[in-house]
Order: sequence, then C-alpha cells, then structure tokens
Amino acid sequence: MSDVAFYDFVRGPFLKLALFVFFIGIAYRFFRVVFLGLPKDYAKPKGNPYYMALKKIVIKPTMGWTFNEIFSRRAINFVGGFLFHLGFLGLTFLVPAHAFLWQEITGLPIPGVPNIVSDLLAYSALGSLIALTVHRALNPVLKLLTGKDEYLANFLIGAILFTGILATKWAGGGFYVWVLSTHMFLADLLILYIPFSRLSHFVYYFLSVGFMGWNAGKRGVSF
Amino acid sequence: MIVESKEDIGQEEIQKFYDFCKKSINAEVASYLEACVRCGICAEACLFYMGQNVSGSIDPSLTPAYKADLLREIYKENYTLLGRVKKLLGFGVKITSEDLREQIKLAFYTCTNCDRCTKACPMGIDTPRLVSIVRGALTYAGLTPKDLADATNLSVEKGSPLGVDVPTFLSRIEFISEEYEVDLPIDKKPSEYLYIPSSIELMKFPSSVAAAGKVLNKSGVSWTLSTIAHEATNFGLFAQSKEVTKEMLKRILDGAKELGVKYIIAPECGHAYQSMRFVAPNVFPEEWQFEVLNIVEFIDRAIKEGRLSIKKKVLKEIATLHDSCQIGRRGGVLREPRRVLNMLAENFKDSVVIPEHNICCGGGGGVLVIKDADYYRQKGFISKMTLFDKVGAKTVVCYCANCMLALNKSSQELNRDYKFVSIVELVAEAIEEEKA
Repeated sequence: MSDVAFYDFVRGPFLKLALFVFFIGIAYRFFRVVFLGLPKDYAKPKGNPYYMALKKIVIKPTMGWTFNEIFSRRAINFVGGFLFHLGFLGLTFLVPAHAFLWQEITGLPIPGVPNIVSDLLAYSALGSLIALTVHRALNPVLKLLTGKDEYLANFLIGAILFTGILATKWAGGGFYVWVLSTHMFLADLLILYIPFSRLSHFVYYFLSVGFMGWNAGKRGVSF
Repeated sequence: MIVESKEDIGQEEIQKFYDFCKKSINAEVASYLEACVRCGICAEACLFYMGQNVSGSIDPSLTPAYKADLLREIYKENYTLLGRVKKLLGFGVKITSEDLREQIKLAFYTCTNCDRCTKACPMGIDTPRLVSIVRGALTYAGLTPKDLADATNLSVEKGSPLGVDVPTFLSRIEFISEEYEVDLPIDKKPSEYLYIPSSIELMKFPSSVAAAGKVLNKSGVSWTLSTIAHEATNFGLFAQSKEVTKEMLKRILDGAKELGVKYIIAPECGHAYQSMRFVAPNVFPEEWQFEVLNIVEFIDRAIKEGRLSIKKKVLKEIATLHDSCQIGRRGGVLREPRRVLNMLAENFKDSVVIPEHNICCGGGGGVLVIKDADYYRQKGFISKMTLFDKVGAKTVVCYCANCMLALNKSSQELNRDYKFVSIVELVAEAIEEEKA
C-alpha cells in the first residue's frame, strides 16, 4: 500500500468506521446506565438538588484541590491530570489542523490557536502523561487499582501525541505522509477504543457527579 | 429477621452475596461503578488508609475504590455487553470464601461510610453508597461480624443494642431526672415535639439526656419522651439489613403517631438522624409525615427564633469541633454547631477551613462495636488526632454520642489526654449558669 493510499484509508473509511463505533458505543454505554432507573426518593430535600447537581458538574474536578493534605501527597495526580486534560482536549479541538477538520464536520467556524499555544499544549499533555504513567507504575495504591486498560490507553494516547508533534515538526523528507497517516491511524484506533475502555469516563462524569451533587443538595451540604 | 454471623462460608453464602449485589444495581450505583478512573486519590481521603500510612506500613487494599471492586465485577458481568460475553465464555467472576472474608474486612472494619472520599473524588463517586451494598450483601449471606450481629439482634429483641428495654428505659429516665434535677416528661399528650435519646446516651452519657431535657424545657416547646419510641439508634443501617432498619423505624413511627407529634428530635447520634431524616420517608412514604430535626439543629433554630439565648461562654480553653459524618457531611448540619459553639467558647479553633473536610471518629457505621476492627479504629484515630494537634486543642466538642465513645476509647487506648464534651451539655451548662 502506498503512503497516499494509506492516508486516504485512515482519513476516509477507517475514520468513518471509528466514528460510527464511537457514537454507537458511547450512546449504548450512556443509555445502558440511564435505563437502569432510580427508586423514588420521598425524603424532603434540605437544599436545592438540581442546582447542586449542575454546580458540581462545573466545579467538581477542583474540589479535591481544596484538601491540602491530599494535594500535598498527590499533587502529581491533580496537576498532571489537569495539564493532561487541558492539553489533550485543547489539541483535539483547537490545533489548526484539527480545527479545520472539526469545521469541515460541523460546518461551524472554529478558530485554531497559534502554533506556540499548540506546542505548549502538546508538550504539557505528553509530559504529564509520561509522569502520570510512571506514577501509576510505582505507587502501591495505583499498582493495585491499575489494569491493562490503563496502560494500553496511556500508550495509545502517548503515541498519538508523539506522532502529532513529529508530524508538526517534520523537517522534510519522504516519510512525512507516513508519519501523518500513522498519527491519524492511531487517532482512529483511539476513537474506536474509547467506548470499550475507561476512557469513556467523560460520559459517566456527568451522571456520577450529577448524582453526587443531587445528593449534596438533598442533604443540604454546600461542598 | 435475625442477623446472622456464620463462621463457615460456602457456596450458598457466595451465591447469596452475588445475588444481592446483582439486584442492588440502579442508574446511580452503575454510574459510580462505571465512572472510576482508578486515580486512587480516595486513598488519601480515607482515615483508615492514612492512619496506616503514617504508621509506616502502606496497605493499598484500604483504598475506597478497591472496596467496591468485587461489586463492580458483578455489575459488569450482568449489565454490560462485554461482561456478559466474558461470562458466557467462562471467564466470569469467581468468588471464593477468602474473597468474602476480605470483603468483611473492607466493608465492616475499615469503612465508616464517612463520605470524605466522595468529596475528594474527581468523579464524585459515592463510595459509602457502594460499601453499603457490599455490607447489605454480606448481611444477606449471613456474614455480619459477630459483635455487630449480636448488637443488632439485641436491638430487635429488647428494643436497643445495649439491651435497654422499656423497664430499663423508665428506670434510667427516673434516675436521670432525679440525679440532674430535670423534668423529663414521658408519653405526655398533647406534645408537639418527640425527643428520642439513644441508648448510648442513656447508659453511658446520661448527662447528655439531662442536658437535652434542660434545653427543651428552657426553649418552651411542648415535648415528650416515648416508651414506644425509646431508642433512636438504628443498627439495621450498620448491618444494612432492610428488615431491621424497618422494624426499628416502625417503633419510632408507632410512638410518634400515638403521641400525635409534629416534630421528631433526633439525639446526638449520627445514624439515628440519618435513618429518621433520610431513610424513614422512603420506608414509610405515606405515614412518615414528621419534620425531623437533629438536637443541634433544634438549638440553632431556637436561638434564631429567640426561644433560647446563650450569653455565657462556658468553655475557656482552646476548643475544637469534631463533626459527626452522618449528621454533618451526610446530613447537612455543619454550620449550626459552629454557630452555637462560637457562642459557647472563648477560644474556638476550627481544625478545618471547609467543614465538610473534617475527619471521622473511626468508630462510626458500627465499627466501634466490632472487636476485630479495633486495630483499624485506632489507626483511624491517628489521622483524626492530627487535626486536634494542628490547632493545639485538648478539648474537643462533639455532637454525636457514638463519636464521643469512639474518640474516648481510642484516645485512652493510645494514652492521649484529649477531653471530649457534648455540645448539648455545654448549651445546658450555659443556660444553667445564666440562670444562676
């Protein structure tokens, strides 16, 4: 297969297949949980559960930061996790090459960020991913909790970030299309893999944090 | 009805555990089980993990996320496509008797359902909710720890986990009334408020009951005790036995209905408040039409309404506040005790900036009564101590008798000289001194 044929494959039918599986899979995972239903709660709420559910969805990731002793011991999780998510999501949607793709898909004008910002996002995402993975491999609690899924996901994302940086910084030569296509192929694989892995946690974030916030509102707890 | 404590774990117990876990799944539980990203931050929020850690030995199995792992596996193979396929191919969950013994340690010895991990978890996973299911499954399989099972059964048979039956209740009330010179009305009709003490207070902290009586009398409300509803604690919640929970609540419902009260005042007892305020309306949706207040909520409200006033600061030394998890973090009564304590203490130093950050006593959720959990309770107390020492307080004000008992016990076992006092007693003292 020639480099251009590979490029066409990963940019065309393979991407379509990945997106199809992604959307079907994510919808299945979301509704599978929602359709399990809830028992009715007759206890009179002390606060406003709906407001608290929405509030927590917005601020929950920062709540752990307020525990000084937890932050001091697990800063790598908080800072690394924050930088990784910022970098990864920023790169996915706002890097000029990706913004162009999203614009094509959605039809909306999506502005790309300057190259220097892209670089910062990419290096912070890759650096924090490496730090988080090393931490995962060494910390006794994380060693107990970690399965193959986490390492596979980290490896895949790391490879995508690395090939993305490589493609952006390519100084010429005949392998550019191969590098770019490999980057896109790995991204397709990631899209395909998300519904089958814990990477789909972004779907459950809204449910889990929503329920937690609802309970906090029901009990009249403000934090 | 009787909660069992079997020694041997066979296939029947394993199957019962499995079935209970399977049928306890709903959208909320599934969301928590699916959302875990295995970050392990919850470990640092858990007093048992922290206590063990600062003692120099790391036990990763005390991580809250790990405590729900067997339940997660059971969920996956019953409610997810991939899990079902794996099960079909023979790669399903294999539960051994050792697994269930570990679950007993994780759910009954090293979790008080304190909810601190929920606050720290970036995904908002309510681990106490999941641990409660595991507890329920173990109880359903007849595997409740013996000490807890005995106390639970005693509460059903005699009316209280400490064996306080009606004659004992009446004689204790008579004793408290005479000893502390306080009028404690029993079965008085008509009454607007029903105050239900816990047997821990009745037997071990009688001054707390007397103090509550003095406060209620001073506030001018019409109130009473009840012989039918004489026990507030609900060991059904500790064991997660729905039958026992219902039975204990039914006695309160019967007593409150018979007296025709509008309000029920829960005592200084975490699970009592939790069971009456948040569980009872779901057990008796039609009949439970009472407003339930914790005694501290009542005091705060009475002060606001001008029915009570505290002008005397009765605590001179540095004092800090210990929050009851079930009344505070899971019950929403956190600002009230702080407002009241500020009126009572000259030098109140809060050990936490955000009240919901406070650390559990280590004996909640029935852990206190389980002898085999003593080691973990003491480790948990080490985490708790760090907060007292941070503000240099030797006097710790509490609003839960079970917390006071657990803290006192751990403090003595570790040769510490902290003093634990009840906030209601301080209020009563302030009122008395004012009168004098």
